[in-house]
Amino acid sequence: MNRRARVSAVGGLIVAAVLSMLSLGSGSALSAAAAAPQTLASIPDVDPREALGSKSAPIVMEVFSDFQCPACKSLYEATNRNLMDNYVNTGKVYLIHRDFPLPMHSHSKEAAQYSRAAAQIGKLEAVADVLFQNQEKWEASGDVDGTVAKVLTPAEMTKVRALVKSGAMEASIAKDQALGNNTYRVSQTPTTIFHANGQTFPYAGVMSWDILKQFLDQLLGGK
Amino acid sequence: MMQSSPLNFRRAVMWLGRLILGPVFTYAGYSKAFLPNNHFWPWFFFKFSLATNIANFAFQVEAFKLLPPWGVQFVAHTLPFTEIVLGFLVLIGWQLRIFGTMLAAIMVGFSVVVTRAYLLHMNINCGCFATPQPINMEKVLEDAGMATLAVLMAAFAIIEARKPHPWSAPPEAVAATAPATK
Repeated sequence: MNRRARVSAVGGLIVAAVLSMLSLGSGSALSAAAAAPQTLASIPDVDPREALGSKSAPIVMEVFSDFQCPACKSLYEATNRNLMDNYVNTGKVYLIHRDFPLPMHSHSKEAAQYSRAAAQIGKLEAVADVLFQNQEKWEASGDVDGTVAKVLTPAEMTKVRALVKSGAMEASIAKDQALGNNTYRVSQTPTTIFHANGQTFPYAGVMSWDILKQFLDQLLGGK
Repeated sequence: MMQSSPLNFRRAVMWLGRLILGPVFTYAGYSKAFLPNNHFWPWFFFKFSLATNIANFAFQVEAFKLLPPWGVQFVAHTLPFTEIVLGFLVLIGWQLRIFGTMLAAIMVGFSVVVTRAYLLHMNINCGCFATPQPINMEKVLEDAGMATLAVLMAAFAIIEARKPHPWSAPPEAVAATAPATK
């Protein structure tokens, strides 16, 4: 083997070694959560009004989301309807919404407060839907109140406004953020935490419905 | 033909390019395909991790508003692995004229796209690595610098390839050792 080939081979080995070390030693900080097996009972601060489906479902999904985040909107639009129809409403998945407003989004905290207040009166789905569908509009105008008012009656809106104004929603949003930061080390939205078969698997970012469906089916199959 | 010096400026730039761009490209491709979601066992976890990472990258590519949907999917599914392979080949210096040129072309493309996004005040993620990175002047200059290095590396590789390798014996030495013929 001539000198050039030797040098090239050594270089290739170094690259392979570095990649191996990266794949073994690094990885997402999220993966630390996988060490702690979770059941619904051990998942902290579950507000049943922020959750959909049956508590006895074999899979629990916690979705850390920001209403002003385009990727969250993309995930919601791609998967929510099918997820609700095929897995949540059929008792296979218990879906927990977690608010994780990001500091760079100026209106996301307000949107989270409105959605949480709406959840108290059983209108989480409708408000989440209208917020995501009209994200670009209220992001530009800042008119979260007007957006939410489109899907609530005047009486419901009065209750929601009172709850938002009282500041009662801030504590529960802060709890979700603390859970995301401290337990799951959420670094971006959306982040979906899957709990199944006694284990926890965090996944950051968007996913297509087809891929999510396959994954859920595999989890349900216990493989 | 004048023999190339082993320690000239061109070769120094080529080495610099290989040592900087090779690992950067390899890591960029690796992080796009295998991070941040990296549950790789059992097999369906690997498929799901890879699929979500690719989907995330596709979302970032789409944010640049340059390509049609099929183009976005094509780039998302091919670019990470192309980067890994090209980065490795450039690092080891095999066929540097060819693969260095390909890498330079991709790097120039990145620089142009990022600069365009910056000038259009697009508040999006660079999509360069798995971790979110905003597009700011620092990123524009960083990409421009790497594109310049890549172009120089490729150009010098082409120039140097036309000269005899400095480690090969000069023609007169080869002639002197050849057996005498009657």
